[in-house]
Order: sequence, then structure tokens, then C-alpha cells
Amino acid sequence: MITGEDIHKSFGDLEVLKGIDLHVEPQEVVVLVGVSGSGKSTLLRCFNFLEMINSGKIIIDGKEINPKKDNLSEIRAEVGMVFQHFNLFPHKTVLENVMEAPVVVKKEKKEIAQKKGLELLDKVGLGDKADVYPSKLSGGQKQRVAIARALAMEPKVLLFDEPTSALDPELVGEVLQVMKQLAEEGMTMVVVTHEMSFAREVADRVIMLDKGRIIESADPVTFFENPSHERTKQFIQMVK
Amino acid sequence: MERIQTIFAIFLDTWPGFLEAVVITLELTAVSVVLGTLLGLIFALMKISKSKIFQGIANFYITVIRGTPLIVQIMFLYFGITEIVVLDAFWAGSIALGVHNGAYIAEIFRGAIQGIDYGQTEASRALGMTNSQTMRRIVFPQALRRSIPPLGNQFIITLKDSSLVYLIGVSELFAIATREAAASFKQFETYIVVGAYYLALVLIFSYLLKWYENRLDVDKA
Repeated sequence: MITGEDIHKSFGDLEVLKGIDLHVEPQEVVVLVGVSGSGKSTLLRCFNFLEMINSGKIIIDGKEINPKKDNLSEIRAEVGMVFQHFNLFPHKTVLENVMEAPVVVKKEKKEIAQKKGLELLDKVGLGDKADVYPSKLSGGQKQRVAIARALAMEPKVLLFDEPTSALDPELVGEVLQVMKQLAEEGMTMVVVTHEMSFAREVADRVIMLDKGRIIESADPVTFFENPSHERTKQFIQMVK
Repeated sequence: MERIQTIFAIFLDTWPGFLEAVVITLELTAVSVVLGTLLGLIFALMKISKSKIFQGIANFYITVIRGTPLIVQIMFLYFGITEIVVLDAFWAGSIALGVHNGAYIAEIFRGAIQGIDYGQTEASRALGMTNSQTMRRIVFPQALRRSIPPLGNQFIITLKDSSLVYLIGVSELFAIATREAAASFKQFETYIVVGAYYLALVLIFSYLLKWYENRLDVDKA
């Protein structure tokens, strides 16, 4: 569904990604882990071109993307993203947040977008909050709205960039629950997270990034019980 | 005591003329506020654009306007424009005030736009919105909301600065005051009266602005 080949990315002199090869199958859930600065968020952001890669290839749904020629807006519309800090639109209601992109980008009719928006809000358990503004919501509720907003575009892949890192501990569960449900429904997902329980339970594959390279890629059982790389062992010890 | 009586007498004598002048002052302010906001928006967008040429033009405009006295700009525009097109003093004055305001309002808008969390732009892009959709629908509406207090402040300054166009012969509030003062020889009292008119206008406007800001807060805080 989404493939990165030999991705290199530098910020100035600092090379953050040093040749990443990653192929995500349709309906696969891939969890990226690693210490901060390992490049996992940057990799995620390269997949929807919020960061431009310096070299390598990104292939989405069989089509290699040329960021100079292709319409990036159209590509981004097919790759959803959920951010650590939610980034809901504070001047729009919850429902308007969810309807915004379908109406503006896909030119969906308002009534249709509204109906679909309400269904999505029901799905994330926030049907009763449609008309409130985001500032009235808890962090967990905000993130669930952000997920509904991303889903409204019916993306082929959904990227999660530390979706629970900004949440109070008691609110993490409700967001993970929604993500788990999406995974079960067959959504293709790439998730950067520190929630090892989520990786264990939901991931098809766990990938460890270290200093801009993939050093471990395995199913969760192998990853956690029998990792091959010394750094992975240390990391698992650390987050236990 | 006698002076206070004189002030009242002057007020009672002159209010019909002053009221007409108040209308002209408000018209001047309204035209220049609209023009200034429009110019401010255009130059703010130019300043934050990626084009070096646009940035250069915007910087030039803002630097020149902010670096020269308003009164010089009024004279320059009045005598400059009227050499090219026939324009009465009211419109020349309004345009001068508007162009002057535009530079300050451009900086208000630029600051507000750049003050919006970059996450808003990233979220919009990630949803497939183009740069212009992101600006129009997400960033600018939020920036506008934040601009309202400084814009209101700028509008009050404009209202007071509009008195300067009496120099090119617009019969606004201050011009009438100078005439009344000269006719009655009661300089001090007349300027107190005109000061009171300006103060009243500013207070009314400030009150309306506060009311509007509060309403916005209640809606969407």
C-alpha cells in the first residue's frame, strides 16, 4: 500500500534518515518504535510529504510519487494523518472539523458530508459532541475527533504520529481503543507510539528505528520476546 | 466657573455644525479603515509569500509609510494625486489615511497569521487542502479573530488621525473647530469642546469593540 525505498532525509548537516526501506501491505498495522531522535516521526512525515525526502522513492498504492510534478494535495488526501497535538481547527465545531476536508477538497455535498461526519463521530463515540467547539473537549476526545476527521477523507493509509503522547494517562485507553477497532476493520496503519501494549496487541509488525536506520522488523511476539539486535533489547528493557 | 459656562455656551451654539462635521469625520474614518484593511491584507500576504519580489514590495511600502510622518503623506498624496486626476480633498484625504493605515494593518495581519500554530497548516495539508484553501479557511479566520483587538486600536488611531486632513481643506471635526475658534476668539473653550467630541467617539467605538470581542469569546472560547 505504501512503500519507501532507500529514503534519505537530512535537516541541514544532520542526517535523520539514512536509507530506510519499508513496505506496508494493505490492511497491515505497522508500529514504529525507537528512542526520540531515531527518525520515526520524520519517516512518518515523509510518507505524506509534510517533509520532503532528499533521495529515495515513495510509492503509494503502486504509484511512485514525484513531489516536484505530482499534485501533493491530491496525494495527501489519500494518506490520513493523526498528530500528537491533535491540531483540530479551533474555530470550527467538532462536526465542521470532520466535514471540512470532504467538502473543501473532495467537493462533497454538505448534506452528505454531514451525514457521514455524524456516522464517524458516532463510531469514535462522540456523536453527542457534534456541535461543540474543540476547546470544550478533553484531550482523548480531541484525538478521537482528529481520527474521525482523518477517516472522513477515506484514506488508503492512516499515519499516527505519537497519538497518545500528549494525553493524560487515564485518557490514553479510549484513543487506543478506537485505533484498535480501526485495525480490526482492516485499515492500513503506520503508528509511531511509545505504547508497547498497543504494539504487542494490535501490530502485525513492529519496527525499531535507531539513528535513522531500521535495525529490527518483526512480528510483535518475536520483537518483544526474541529481538535480534542489542539496541532493541535495551530499548525493550527501557520501556518496560 | 465663567469658563465652564462659556464652554457650555459654545457647545450649544455650535453643535449643529459640529454634528455635520462628526459625520464627515466618521466617513473619512470608515473609508480609510476599509481601504487600510484591504491594503493591509494584500501587503501582509505579500510579505509572507515565498516570492522575493512581493516581499520586497511589501517591505518597501511598510518601511516608507512607517518611516515618514502622516502629515507629509497627506500633503504628498493630495498634491501628487490631484496633479494626475481630479479628486476632491475628502477622497484624497481618505486615500492618504487608508494608505497610511495599510502599512500598520499589514503588520497586524502578518503577526497574527504567523502567530497561528503551524500544526494548523500541517493538519490542513495532511487532509489534502491546498495552500490557498488552508489560508482562506483555516489560518486566516483564526488570525482575523486575533487581529481584532489591535485592529480596533488602529481604527481608533485612524479616527483621531483623520483630524490632520483639515490641512487640505476637508470640513471634518477639527476643521470646524478651527473655524469656530477663530470666529469666536474662544480658542481654549472651543478646543475643549472638540476634544470632548473626539473622546466621546473613541469611547463609543471602544465600547462597541469590547462588546464584540466578548461576544466572540463567549461563542468559541
